[in-house]
Amino acid sequence: MTPAAITPSFWMSTRRSFAAAMRRDGFGIIALVVLALVILGPLYSVVLWAFAERWQYPSLIPTQFGLSFWEQTFARADIQRALPFSIVLASVVTLLSAVICLPASYAFARIKFRGRQALLLSFLATNAFPRFGLYVSIAVIFFRLNLIGTVPGVILIQLVNTLLLMIWIPTAAFQGIDRSLEEAALDVGASPLRVFIQITLPMVMPALSAALLLTFVNTFYEAQGALIVGLPRVVTMPVLMYSLINSQLVVQYGAIVSFVLWMPSLLLLLVANRLLRGGYLTAGFGV
Amino acid sequence: MATLDLINLTKQFGTVTAVDAVNLSVQDGEFMCILGPSGCGKSTLLRMIAGFEMPTEGDIRIAGDSVTHLGANKRPTAMVFQKYTLWPHMKVFDNIAFGLQLRRLPRAEIARKVEEALALVSLSGYEERYPSQLSGGQQQRVALARAIVLEPKILLLDEPFSSLDAILRVRLREELRRIQRRLKITAIFVTHDQEEALTLADRIAVMNAGRVEQLDAPTQIYDNPATLFVADFIGAMNLLQAQVSGGRIVLSGVTLDAPPGLQDGAATVAIRPEDMALLPDAAHAGAWRAVVEQISDLGHYRRALLDVGDGTLKIYLPKSAAVREGAQVAAFPRRYLIYANGGAPREVTRALPAEALTV
Ligand SMILES: Nc1ncnc2c1ncn2[C@@H]1O[C@H](COP(=O)(O)OP(=O)(O)OP(=O)(O)O)[C@@H](O)[C@H]1O
Ligand SMILES: [Mg+2]
Repeated sequence: MTPAAITPSFWMSTRRSFAAAMRRDGFGIIALVVLALVILGPLYSVVLWAFAERWQYPSLIPTQFGLSFWEQTFARADIQRALPFSIVLASVVTLLSAVICLPASYAFARIKFRGRQALLLSFLATNAFPRFGLYVSIAVIFFRLNLIGTVPGVILIQLVNTLLLMIWIPTAAFQGIDRSLEEAALDVGASPLRVFIQITLPMVMPALSAALLLTFVNTFYEAQGALIVGLPRVVTMPVLMYSLINSQLVVQYGAIVSFVLWMPSLLLLLVANRLLRGGYLTAGFGV
Repeated sequence: MATLDLINLTKQFGTVTAVDAVNLSVQDGEFMCILGPSGCGKSTLLRMIAGFEMPTEGDIRIAGDSVTHLGANKRPTAMVFQKYTLWPHMKVFDNIAFGLQLRRLPRAEIARKVEEALALVSLSGYEERYPSQLSGGQQQRVALARAIVLEPKILLLDEPFSSLDAILRVRLREELRRIQRRLKITAIFVTHDQEEALTLADRIAVMNAGRVEQLDAPTQIYDNPATLFVADFIGAMNLLQAQVSGGRIVLSGVTLDAPPGLQDGAATVAIRPEDMALLPDAAHAGAWRAVVEQISDLGHYRRALLDVGDGTLKIYLPKSAAVREGAQVAAFPRRYLIYANGGAPREVTRALPAEALTV
């Protein structure tokens, strides 16, 4: 179950049936609680730290809450630079990836050319092997091309990361659309471009939005590639967080930055929720 | 609202010839059925007319003008597909209005035309539904409305009702025929259901392996099948191997008169079950001696299977015919066709002897 599906009524019915469920299914409940502690525990601690002014050892919760560290964090020059830069970078990479991958995935779905299968699998290859080795060898090439420490270098390496998602999800979505739906649109007089924009695209939109959002979020979080290719001059938020944590400055800085880094994920969940609820998806496909 | 001419139309997929040098002229306002077994190239032919497939060779002319090199979106044709092809993200209104909006008609006129089209297919008031909220039959009616609202010169239908149940299929095809007559659209209807073709069509083109075997009115196709394939494919038929020699046709169990001028050699004799009469058991010239193997009542007529020694004959009888299973009878063909050397069939009709059991 995704967090998006947890609604108030869900909680209410959960509470009412808790005792019954406990009797029936004790082991499952215990497993759930343990899992929740393991997953939510660290998150809980991060959230508390982000809003803590002071937190002395024996206390279970911070001894004093406050927002002064937020001011301090956002007053830092490195964060003021890295946050907008990361947002712009992730947007640019997502956009570029879409421009490159969407036509390609349409071709993959619609045209049966030789080597299609092999090419599709090759995108998996970049994800099937340890990234780090790939990055190092790319970094060597980038070094020769003077791309190390440059924004284009970081964009390029992050693009590589997005290919799998942005090719595979849309290809599957396009394949799921019956060709005769497009032919029917051609038949009533729509040009091929209009067919794509008004018929094909709206039908793949849910899958496409998911791919775009996932790509944005993944890119926003991406640290390895940005670290190897970007440093020392290009610093993204996740890279900055590494240095904030490693240099043992103030716990609150790390906590606040991770808190900020969650935002895209929360946004993703909200939008996914909206997508699944609203519009023709429910009426049209009976979801 | 226009004529359609196919000239030497050919389509090859790799080594497969799906449509093989088809010549076909459809008249203005005509309802033409394309009938043939699965895989004979019916859909391919229709898809070439619509512009979804590029012919390997030949020409397509609508109202005299070649459209072969025109894109599907520029042709004055409209198609109703076998699959459900309403756009799932658009309401019924928008599905029908889409083509009109592309033509930049005023809003009020679009609304009026959509309303008229929906009324024509008896679906007034369904404008705000999504396709998934319609039954299969309703979806195909909307698809029909979407096609005719554009007032196409040629209406193309590729087995549009084949996924519906029998009763609905009959109702919808009658509705379609009524609409087509009213609007006087030239229509091409693909089907592999011969009953559908025989009841609907002004003319039927029977296809086999990419070629048109016969193009004729339904009664002609039924009464005078031009080739052995058509004889076998349309309606029930007794097909019997025979040998022609010296003005006689020798079959197993019987010898028939040959029409004048028939060459000696192998031939096939075709007899419709309803062209066979039963006589009391006795030796008759040109009749089989047979045992009634099985009788089935099929509504308004009876079907009897006759055992003629080394084969079975199928015959249709009126309900009044006094026969029972196990009876010894003579089976007398009143009319038969002889197919030889791939040429046109020769027809023989014979007067019935007085003692026939049937009228
Ligand atoms: N896109 C294609 N690529 C290759 N071969 C094809 C293609 N479309 C059709 N064919 C072949 O062409 C022949 C005719 O196919 P077509 O779909 O026109 O038959 P049909 O008469 O409509 O059959 P059915 O009644 O089953 O719909 C078949 O042998 C089919 O396999
Ligand atoms: Mg077909």
